[in-house]
Amino acid sequence: MKVSLKWLQTYFDAPLPNAEAIADAYTFHAFEIDEMQGDMMDVKVLPNRAADCLSHRGLAKELSAILDTPLKTDPLRQPIPMWDIVSPTLLKVEIEDSKKCVRYMGAVVKSVKIGPSPAWLIEALEAVGQRSINNVVDATNYVMLNVGQPLHAFDANKLTQKEGKYAIGVRGAREDEKIVTLTGEEFILTQNIQLITDANTDRAIALAGIKGGKVAEVTADTTDLIIESANFDGTTTRRAAQSLKLFTDASLRFQNRPSPELAAYGMREVLTLITEIAGGEVVGIVDEYPAPVASLPVVTVSLGKINNILGSDFSCEEVENVFKRLGLDYASSSGPSTTTFTVTPPFERTDLVIPEDLVEEVGRIIGYDKVPATELPPLAGVPDQARFRGIERMKDQLVEQGFIEVSTQSFSKKGDVTLANPLDKNMPALRTSLENNVHEALTRAKLNAPLVLSPKAKLKLFEVGTVFPKEGEFVELRMTERVSEWGESAGTTDNLSVAKLEDYGKDYTPKRRTLGTYQPFSLYPFIVRDIALWVPTGTDVGRTTSYIQEQAGELLVRIDQFDTFEKEGRISLAFRLVFQSMERTLTDEEVNGVMMQVSEALKKAGFEVR
Amino acid sequence: MSHVGRLHPISIAIREAAEIFSRMGFGVAYGPELEDDWHNFTALNVPEDHPARDMQDTFWIKGEKGKVLRTHATSVTMRKLEEMAKSGNAEMRMINPGKVFRNEATDATHEAQFYQLDGFAVGPTGSVTLAHLKGTFDRFYREYFGPNAKVRFRPSFFGFTEPSVEIDVWFEPAGKKGQWLETAGAGMLHPNVIKNAGLDPEKVQGFAFGGGLERLIMIKYGIPDVRLFHSGDVRFNYAFEEKKI
Repeated sequence: MKVSLKWLQTYFDAPLPNAEAIADAYTFHAFEIDEMQGDMMDVKVLPNRAADCLSHRGLAKELSAILDTPLKTDPLRQPIPMWDIVSPTLLKVEIEDSKKCVRYMGAVVKSVKIGPSPAWLIEALEAVGQRSINNVVDATNYVMLNVGQPLHAFDANKLTQKEGKYAIGVRGAREDEKIVTLTGEEFILTQNIQLITDANTDRAIALAGIKGGKVAEVTADTTDLIIESANFDGTTTRRAAQSLKLFTDASLRFQNRPSPELAAYGMREVLTLITEIAGGEVVGIVDEYPAPVASLPVVTVSLGKINNILGSDFSCEEVENVFKRLGLDYASSSGPSTTTFTVTPPFERTDLVIPEDLVEEVGRIIGYDKVPATELPPLAGVPDQARFRGIERMKDQLVEQGFIEVSTQSFSKKGDVTLANPLDKNMPALRTSLENNVHEALTRAKLNAPLVLSPKAKLKLFEVGTVFPKEGEFVELRMTERVSEWGESAGTTDNLSVAKLEDYGKDYTPKRRTLGTYQPFSLYPFIVRDIALWVPTGTDVGRTTSYIQEQAGELLVRIDQFDTFEKEGRISLAFRLVFQSMERTLTDEEVNGVMMQVSEALKKAGFEVR
Repeated sequence: MSHVGRLHPISIAIREAAEIFSRMGFGVAYGPELEDDWHNFTALNVPEDHPARDMQDTFWIKGEKGKVLRTHATSVTMRKLEEMAKSGNAEMRMINPGKVFRNEATDATHEAQFYQLDGFAVGPTGSVTLAHLKGTFDRFYREYFGPNAKVRFRPSFFGFTEPSVEIDVWFEPAGKKGQWLETAGAGMLHPNVIKNAGLDPEKVQGFAFGGGLERLIMIKYGIPDVRLFHSGDVRFNYAFEEKKI
C-alpha cells in the first residue's frame, strides 16, 4: 500500500516525525516498508491486517498507536447519518447471491459537473502513483485509498429507467458473456465471475469488485451518477480476478475481506467529496444489506496469559495503555491472581478474534525489543538425533573413501509422480531414483576433475536425497561406484528409509568441518599442462611447488605434484598445472608462454626440465 | 593414492545447526516431502480458500487431489506434535532440516527447491515463550555466525503462529560493515495448530520457526547465487577452504 506522508499528516495535529522515523515505527511495530521515495512510502501490509490497513486511515491509526499521538479525527468513528433520502422509488438493487455480494449501497446523484479535480486532490493521487482522471472518478479513488472502501461511479444516463426507476443487478456471468472494461479490454467471462448489471436490460456494466465497464463510463458529458459502495465476497473476487488475470486496487481490497460495515462510511465520504468538488445533489440512496454484520464478539485475555506467552513481565498499566493507544474498547477486572481484559474490537478490526491476537497487539505495540532473550531450561534426557547421526555417519564413511557429496534437482523428465503444475514443462515429474542425476553429475565432474582433484585421485560421487517411485517416497543413498570395504553384498544404492540408521547413529558424533569464505570459480575453460624435472635428492618438494606457483602467476589455479621416482642419485618430480581465467577463455599460446617462463626459471634455478 | 572427498556445504551447515541445537535440547526430525493437504496446510491453520493454496505457489500432484510437495518443513512439526499427543509427552524440541518446494521463478536468490531449517519447542503453558524463542536464536546465531551476531524481532503474519515475528540477524563479515539480515519467520504456535495435533492449547504452548538454510550459508560464506547449491556441480564443494575440526 503506497501512502503519502503528507496525506497521513492530515490525520494529525502534531507534526509527524521524519520519514526514517516513520519507517522505523512501522517496521518494528507493524509492517515492513518495501520502498521509500520522497513523500511516498510503500507499506507491506500483512495479510491479517489487509482488511483495515490498505488505507491511509488504517495506517494513520497504526501510526497513532505506535507513536502514541492521537488522531485528529477518525472517519470510522464518526457516526453514520440516518440517510433521510433512502429512496427505493428511484433505484432498486437485486442481488442474486447474498453470499457473494454481502452488501450493496447505491446512491443517485443528479446534476454534477464533471471537470478537473482540485489541485490538492491531483497532488494526493499522484503522490501515491495514481493518475487523475476527472473530479468524480478521482473522488472514488481518493476515498478508497483514504478509508479502504472500493467505490465506483456509473453514468446514470447510460443506464435505463423503468417507470422512472434505475435498477442495479448483481449476478453471476453467463458462460461466454462478454464485457468491455473502462480501459477498453474485452473479457470473455465464465460463470464464477460476478457482474454488476443494468437490471432493467440485464446488460453487464461492471465486473463486480474488480473494474467498471465502458458502457456506463463517467465522461465529460455526464450529469447524473449512480455511486456504488458495496461488499463483495473475498474468495469470489480473488478467483474472478485470477481467472481474468485482472488484479485491481478494488479486487485487492475485497479479497482481504473488509467489513461490510465499511461500505456506509465509504459512501458517506465519497458523497461528501463529490458534492463538494463536482456539485450535484444526492437524491436517493439504497442499502441492500440482507444480513447485517452484528458488532464483533468480545475477546478476553488475562495479564497472566499475555506474560506467559511473551515471556515478559508487562504490567496492567502497560497493557491498558496499548489498548488505549489502539483505540480498543476494553474493560478490566482484577481477579485473585491476575487481571482480565475484555476487549470489544471496532468493526474494522476483524483480525482480533482470539486471546493470542491481543497478546500480539501488546507485544508489537510495546515492542518486541522489550521481550527479553531467555535461554530454554535444560530438558531431561538426550535429544533424539539418532537417525540424523546415522545418515551423517554413512556420509562420513563415504567422504573417507574419497567420495564427494552432490545435491541435485528433485524434478525429472520422467517419473511415477507427475506435477499438476510444473515450473519447467520439460521436467514435469519427480525423480524415481538418484541414479541418473548422480551419473550426469559425474559426467560433468569428469570435465572439471583437474580443477578439484589430483591426477591420481579417482572421481567418486554420492547423493542422499528423497526419491518418489510408485511404491512411495524414500530417502536414497546413491554412489557412482561400490565401496569395496563395505563387502560383497554392498551395491551402489541403499534405501535409508528402511535401513536401521538409529542404532548406527545413536552414539556417533558427525565430523565437523569449517569452511572459509566462498571463492567464486571460473566458468571459462581451463588448460592442463604437465611438467617433470630432475632435482637433486634432498630437494624440498613444497618449496619447489611454491616456486613453480610464483613463476606461473595468477592464471595458475591448481598445482599437483603427482609422480616421483629416484634414479642415479637424482629425483624426478612431475607436476600437473591447471590454468584458468575468471574473465576469459585462455589460448594455448598464452599458456605455452607461461610454461616457457616456468621452464626457464626452473633451469635458472639449476633444475633440469625433462 | 587415497584421498578424502568432500561433504556438500548443506550437510556441513546442518551438522553445525544440529550440534548447536542439540546443546539446547533439540532433536532432529524428518517427514515426507510429498505431503498431504492436512499436514502442509489445514492442520497448520491455513484455511481452505487461502491464497497460498492457489496454483501459483504450491506444486500439486497430478491425479492425486490433496497431495502437494511440501511448501515448508513445518509439516514435520505437525507430524511430531501429533506423535507427542499420542505418546502423552509433555514437552518436545526438534529441528526439521529438509527440502521444500515453491512454484516460483528462479533467480540468484530464489529456487523452486531449497532447504529449510525449521523447528519447534513446546512444553506446558508458560514454559516455552516468545522470550525463549529469542534466547534460542540469540544463542544459535552467536554460535553459528560468531560472537558479534545479534537477534531482532519484527512483527509478521503466519497462519500457524500467533503472535508471529520475522527474525533478523546482525551479521558482520570479517573486515566488512555489519548489517541486519532477515533470516527466518517464527512465532508462538497458534492454538488451532496445537488443537489440530490432538493437544490441549490450554495446557501446551510453544514456538515454531523456519527459514531458508541456503540463505544462512550464503550469508555466512558470501555465496552470491542460490542456484549453485543443487546444481550437482562438484566445483561448488571445492569453492571453500575446508578444515576438519
